[in-house]
Amino acid sequence: MTVCSTAFETLGRAQSKGLAHPDLPIAFVPHPFGAIKRDAIRELALKCAYDIAYLVSPAAAPAATKADTNLRAPMIQLADDIEAVNRHFREQRWTDGFPVIPPTPERVERMLRCSSRNAHDVVGLVAPGYGAATVERIAINAVMAGCDPEYLPVLIAAVDAIASPQFNLQGIQATTNPVGAWLIVNGPIAKKLNMNSGANCLGQGNWANATLGRALRLIMQNIGRAMPGEMDRATQGYPGKYSFCCAENEDDSPWEPLHVERGFQPGQSTVTVVGAEGIVNMNTRTKIVSEVIRVFAQCMPRPAGNDYRTGGQPWIVLCPEYADILAGGGLTKAEVKRLIWEQSRMPATQYAAIDFELVQHSRRATLGEITRDSRIPACATPEDIGILVAGGAGTHAAYVQSFGNTRSVTREIV
Amino acid sequence: MAATISVFDPIAPYRVDGQQKYTTLDDLRGKVVGFVDNTKPNFDHLIEDLADVLVSQYGVASTLKFKKRQASVPAGDAVMQELLEKCDLVITGSGD
Repeated sequence: MTVCSTAFETLGRAQSKGLAHPDLPIAFVPHPFGAIKRDAIRELALKCAYDIAYLVSPAAAPAATKADTNLRAPMIQLADDIEAVNRHFREQRWTDGFPVIPPTPERVERMLRCSSRNAHDVVGLVAPGYGAATVERIAINAVMAGCDPEYLPVLIAAVDAIASPQFNLQGIQATTNPVGAWLIVNGPIAKKLNMNSGANCLGQGNWANATLGRALRLIMQNIGRAMPGEMDRATQGYPGKYSFCCAENEDDSPWEPLHVERGFQPGQSTVTVVGAEGIVNMNTRTKIVSEVIRVFAQCMPRPAGNDYRTGGQPWIVLCPEYADILAGGGLTKAEVKRLIWEQSRMPATQYAAIDFELVQHSRRATLGEITRDSRIPACATPEDIGILVAGGAGTHAAYVQSFGNTRSVTREIV
Repeated sequence: MAATISVFDPIAPYRVDGQQKYTTLDDLRGKVVGFVDNTKPNFDHLIEDLADVLVSQYGVASTLKFKKRQASVPAGDAVMQELLEKCDLVITGSGD
């Protein structure tokens, strides 16, 4: 059973359904429980202990629900009017807040023709509702997002990636933190789909970037059942949860692209998913390699950031000019990672006392004993830092903060 | 009658395969209760007091306490195995 603070009742109940324990007993304590003084907890514990005893010994147990996994998406009839369709989808909370393209059988069928997979193949179970992401359901949500049919294989690979345990989709979807899934596309398919890897590639204006990121969000919301304020417990969220997608600027990079770094061939196409929070712009006029590394590294330490609290997987997006400066100075990608990792360590004294205790507990396994004199890296090893070359002209880099308890996953697009 | 259009419902149902009914206990007396601390503030204190109350007032035989590495990750396999082997009831925490 679970003890849940009252504000999280919806999450607790929905989550128990998603984990196939719909009748899991839940006892409650008042929210915000963390703000209650120590001497008041005894009274709450007395009440809570009674609730636990009652809940685990009821006179009659509820009957188990008959197992029934329905993999076929149901159809509904609506007035043949774009506004009426959107009104219904809006009322049902099936959109991200923007209007959608009606997922008619014809549009979904047209999209399904772009994959060799069977419509009812299950690509993965999407936390926290653990809904089955069939190829058909992925296509339905992709149509709604405005994707061209040719985008479907990217989304199938992306869903396979987010369902991977190391991505920790459960944590990413249900957390109070502002985190979403950043899609990075590599290989020939990026050009084939006219994706943007250059100027404003993380911004608006490119159909594939925008709708692919949006489609994955709809999949996470509609198949994963992470409705804002319900199982999606984000305190504020952030704009990247609408759409966060780009391609790598492989043509203007002096280094091997991300997918090759991860063992794929240059001619293969891949999608990488990153559990990403917001981005921090880094802009300096220096062309001196050591200064570029130093000032970027100094932009990273944040005692309340999840990379530093939990040991994450921070990413640095370098514009081609910065990448050329660093490569021109003789640095490989691995060397850039190592230098940034070393120079971005943060004095442990910067943590709040309670966070320091948490870090001592949670990062001991990778960092060893942590004291107030320790200097804490953003991640366990230099290799955990991600480097991506993307963007157009100008001297800007972006520090993309990770959720911390997540690892990026790369899948081939087939 | 106005023209209609067919559209798909984009929602996936909650997973229902393999649903299990939770097993009730006849009594708490003599039972072993396990706790998994989610690392959120004060939950360690609640566990401390719950353990005390369940033993002293409800006849629970003993308690086992584990602490996750972080709130947003699952308990480790070794912890899960020990809970399975030793406990009649396991209590976890959720929320802030």
